[in-house]
Amino acid sequence: MKHIDVQQQPVLSFGRTFKIALRGVQYRLFRALVTVAVIAVAMAFLMNILSESLFKRVVAVAVRDEIRAMRQADHWIARLSVPQTAEEIVAVLAAAEPDSETFREMAVFGGLDETALPSAAALAVKAQAYLKFFDDINYGRRRVLIGNATGVEIFERLQNEAAQTRFFESLTLMRAVRFVTTPDAFREFLRAWPGLSGTLTAVRAGQQRAIGNIQQAQEGRTVMEALSGAEGPFGEAVRQAGFVLDPGEAVSLAKQIRLAEHRHFIEDSINNPEVRKAVAARKDVLPGDVSLDMIWKLLGRPATAAWYEGQLAQHASPPPGLDAARLHEVARTRARSKLMVRAELMTMGTGGGFMNIGPRMTWLAFVSMLVCTVGIANAMLMSVTERFREIATLKCLGALDGFIMTVFLIEAAILGLVGGLAGTLIGLVLGLGRMLAVFQSLLIELFPGGLLLQAAGISIVTGIALAAVAAAYPSMRAARLAPMEAMRIE
Amino acid sequence: MRDADEKGAPHPPSSDFGEARAAALLIDMQNVVTEKPEALDGAGKRVIIRTIGMKKVYRKKDQVTQALRGVDVEIYTGEFISVMGPSGSGKSTFFNMIGALDSPSEGRVFIDEVDVAQLTAEELAFLRCRKIGYIFQSYNLIQYMTALENVTTPMAFGGVPDDEARKRGMEILGQVGLRDRWFHRPIEMSGGQQQRVAIARSLANQPAILLCDEPTANLDHHTGQEILDILQKLNKERGVTIICATHDHRMMNVCDRLMWIRDGSIERIARRDEVHVELAGID
Repeated sequence: MKHIDVQQQPVLSFGRTFKIALRGVQYRLFRALVTVAVIAVAMAFLMNILSESLFKRVVAVAVRDEIRAMRQADHWIARLSVPQTAEEIVAVLAAAEPDSETFREMAVFGGLDETALPSAAALAVKAQAYLKFFDDINYGRRRVLIGNATGVEIFERLQNEAAQTRFFESLTLMRAVRFVTTPDAFREFLRAWPGLSGTLTAVRAGQQRAIGNIQQAQEGRTVMEALSGAEGPFGEAVRQAGFVLDPGEAVSLAKQIRLAEHRHFIEDSINNPEVRKAVAARKDVLPGDVSLDMIWKLLGRPATAAWYEGQLAQHASPPPGLDAARLHEVARTRARSKLMVRAELMTMGTGGGFMNIGPRMTWLAFVSMLVCTVGIANAMLMSVTERFREIATLKCLGALDGFIMTVFLIEAAILGLVGGLAGTLIGLVLGLGRMLAVFQSLLIELFPGGLLLQAAGISIVTGIALAAVAAAYPSMRAARLAPMEAMRIE
Repeated sequence: MRDADEKGAPHPPSSDFGEARAAALLIDMQNVVTEKPEALDGAGKRVIIRTIGMKKVYRKKDQVTQALRGVDVEIYTGEFISVMGPSGSGKSTFFNMIGALDSPSEGRVFIDEVDVAQLTAEELAFLRCRKIGYIFQSYNLIQYMTALENVTTPMAFGGVPDDEARKRGMEILGQVGLRDRWFHRPIEMSGGQQQRVAIARSLANQPAILLCDEPTANLDHHTGQEILDILQKLNKERGVTIICATHDHRMMNVCDRLMWIRDGSIERIARRDEVHVELAGID
């Protein structure tokens, strides 16, 4: 006969399990805090690199256009002064979209048929690949292969049959060197080269002519001075000469040039002894110690900018339009462009990898996660070991293996959540602080709130997941523990 | 057990007892009548725990320890049985086996005619939760729970709703005289109080069997007596089967039968009235 009706033990509800787990965590607060600290440090690291890369990325995107606009002036001054080199034209041709303004400009300068250009562009792409190869190999090998020729000169030299034979023989001997294409393809390219070379020469000649034409429109001014009127007749002259200068671009170009002019004037004003003396008196330094930074600082505030305007009006002859407001504006624009340049430097090499933090940082983050996992696993194992008695007692009281395991997993998840939250906050504050120091006002302007939230979410979830994964083995061990452990008298 | 009885030799005091107590405790073995346990109380008694050829071998690398060397025993419903034996005699192993906490290497254990080896993990948990109460020498209360929570935890495992568990928990705490200390944590209570909470906990789901592993060993004389009184009351009033490992000679006053384990086998089982205990003036 069967007196005991043995049934299945019911599974404890999650709510009750959670309550018991929470009590356990509270009781072992110190150990819990240590574990939380481990998780927090790892998550702070993750969040730090995530947030910093996010800041860098938004800044990089925003800066790219502004930097391009800033360099527009330099670009046009150079273009209107000397024709581009053959290598530059090759690069432009290789990068040009078919049917673009650039193509049309090339056709005009080279006096070419626009339909012939796509094939030239295709050749230019190959030429660039070969040029890159010659740029990348070391000097000794380069010397053996093509002597002291550089750039497109290489292709000219290899037109010579003997030189070509020597080149290919040397290339075969260099086993470590991988040439871009097969020798046959290169031979074919070299056969086609004179055609492209002719195009390049024609384009260069066309540019030279155009520059000559523009010189008349300059009316004795320098290119830069003339460009300050780019939105007016000079811009028209530039277009007439064959350059593609968009009217909208011309306006911003003229603005840039005027800004540069004013900037040069201000930077020159330091050489004016009277102005220098005045600044020295105001700053209470010797006139010899007056620096440009002081002047820019003076111009950074409207009130002192007005004072400086007075000094300029008194001792120098400022160009029209350079009033106090303009002085201040120039100073502000300069500060901003400095920031831009720094931002560009700082954001170089970002992108790629997990959340665009770059492959190196991805690897670092991964290793830190690994270390963190081991740390948590260790802490959880300790927690399990010191609770053998408790676990066994609970099993004596009718706890199922699943309950024990859930308790430990919940405990780990709670620690992961707390650690993840704390770490994310720390990482964010650190990243924000560092990036604020670098990008200053630019960062506040571009604050990537949504993306940051996303990164914070990732960090917290990673924290919980890491803790849960790390606790999997210890909690399994705890669950499988024989209940008799507690019966053993210590 | 039979071998020892045939020799008729006095039970040698175990090393654990200590010289003074060993000398004080003189068991007159001359009058002991050995009988088969079945014959003890007649056929009317119901067997609640039965072991058949129960052996346990611990293997650790090449070290083999024979903890139990074939134990056949029957324990009856409503009985109060004391298990005595020196440390390392296999007493604890015996407890683990009959408490369904460990499985024997050989032989079988029946708890109320149910073969423990046949039960699944869930059924074992059910058995431990509802049918057996455990009381340990070191109380083994959950440190981060209050007295009441300690008592209600096995009820929660058994699926009793929170409100009812609390009500019942308070009742049971009242029975062990700790009703007004329900919110105290183990660390805030004396050893005796902790052991009483442990007893209350073991009673949470009205078990049929109470397994006590040296319940009085860590307590002073007076407190130990209180615990014994509670156990005896449980046994008499509720008919709970109590199996009690002990070194406490007072246990002999309250138990129905005594069992000696030595070197992994049962040396002797005797009814209390068959054992004359002479105490050389310690009490």
